[in-house]
Amino acid sequence: VARAIRSNTRLDLIVLATCAVLALAARALPNTMRDPVATTMRRSFLAPLVLLQERSEKGRQSLLAADAKQARLDSLSLDAMKAGSLEAENERLRKVIGLGSRVRWGFVPAEALHGRGIRDETTVILSAGSRAGISRLSPVIAPEGLVGVVDQVDPTMSHAMLWTHPDFRVSAMSPDGTAFGIAQAHLTGATGGYLIELRGVPFRATLKPGALIVSSGWGGVWPRGIPVGTVLQEIKTTEGWARTYLLRPAVNPADVYSVMILRRDRLAKGLEGVWQSVAQADAAAQRIVVSGDSAARTAALAEAAARRAVLDSIARANGTPALGATDSTGAPRVVAPRPVPVRRPPPPDTTPRDTTRRDTVPRRDTISQRPGMTR
Amino acid sequence: MNMGGAIRAIISFLIFVVLHYTLRPLLGWRAPMDFLILALLLAAVRVRPSTAAVIGFILGLISDSLAPDALGAGALAMTTVGFGASYLKAVFFADNLVLNAFFFFLGKWVFDIMYFIVEQRVHGVELVQQLLLWSPLSAAVTAAVGVLLLFIMRPLLEPTPT
Repeated sequence: VARAIRSNTRLDLIVLATCAVLALAARALPNTMRDPVATTMRRSFLAPLVLLQERSEKGRQSLLAADAKQARLDSLSLDAMKAGSLEAENERLRKVIGLGSRVRWGFVPAEALHGRGIRDETTVILSAGSRAGISRLSPVIAPEGLVGVVDQVDPTMSHAMLWTHPDFRVSAMSPDGTAFGIAQAHLTGATGGYLIELRGVPFRATLKPGALIVSSGWGGVWPRGIPVGTVLQEIKTTEGWARTYLLRPAVNPADVYSVMILRRDRLAKGLEGVWQSVAQADAAAQRIVVSGDSAARTAALAEAAARRAVLDSIARANGTPALGATDSTGAPRVVAPRPVPVRRPPPPDTTPRDTTRRDTVPRRDTISQRPGMTR
Repeated sequence: MNMGGAIRAIISFLIFVVLHYTLRPLLGWRAPMDFLILALLLAAVRVRPSTAAVIGFILGLISDSLAPDALGAGALAMTTVGFGASYLKAVFFADNLVLNAFFFFLGKWVFDIMYFIVEQRVHGVELVQQLLLWSPLSAAVTAAVGVLLLFIMRPLLEPTPT
């Protein structure tokens, strides 16, 4: 037994020594041999373990990056939420800049700060005051039209009454001057929406839905020509001597954030053509679109007529009735423009220049001159 | 050890090896646990010293193949640890978690000492810091995880009653 134990111990030591020698030999290998051995092991029976380790590393990196990714995602979501309002604000600012270029002088741009309390939907705080030349009863306008009027002025800010205020009135008229009235706010009901009433319109003056109503310039507060709204419908009131119309306001006070305050010295010069030019541009664009449609329609009709003429010619050549003859609808036929005869260039003249050709004498073709003959 | 016990031991061994290449890189600790050492120690106490030395040599080559610059260092260290653990199993092979924990701690620390010395990649103060700070920490973590796994895998690791 003791011999067997000694033998086993000797075997263990031999195996240990062999493994140690092999390990030291592997350690002593030069890099040029060490790397291929390791690579071979990694690519063969260790490949599954290497794959597991790679996936675990990626999983750890994903876990570590999860917070940063979530933060980026939140930032992107926040930016996406802001994008719509930023685009709308840009649009408003572009309009304000456009209005400023048309008004040219005598105005002060301001930010409108809305309150959130009771009756705050009828007033607004403006970020410009008397130091900027603002005075009481200075008109407040937006690119779309009339907004309100300044009723209190501080050095650095002012308080404006919007057109939704119950005390607000403005003298208004149709652009052609055929109908005049007094515009004021019209509460539509429990929902709280606001429209504009145009009261006191003479009975003889009728306004069609969609007609533009602008400030008349009477009263000295508002210059002439600022859009107030468009006619929706006539409403019945107890006043039998005048008409009252309901207008869709040109400006929604809740959407007003950037406005222009007109200085009093600008009012004397008027605002003729400021909004009219915009309306003219819109009308011109509409006319261009309509004329483009007309031209396209005319071209299509001409092409259809030409095709019909060709088909008729073919039918006549084949001895069959023309297609147009079978038209029993009674609709007026479109007269096809006759095709212009193609002038082919003469064949090249191969006759020597020093000889006289027999056909150089112009022939007089008299056949076509016979009455009643057609070619 | 009968056939059932051998199969259970092999399954446990493979579980530890897989954990080494999945859980360890996933956690990515500065003082990581070493499941290969745990696998080697758990196998070593069940086999002869020569077999434990061969197992250690193979495990060392496996771990070295992922770090070609240290090829051979891990194999030598694991061969030594495996042989030593199997030779000393009479001392440490007891049904005592604290002794097992010390067994794991010592095995991992000895392995690290041999590995870093033979590898010769770390020198001077850094080597001392590695051997006296990070290696004991790693050995402690390995021991704690080893004891936890022993507790969890007790049905697999216990010898079959005859």
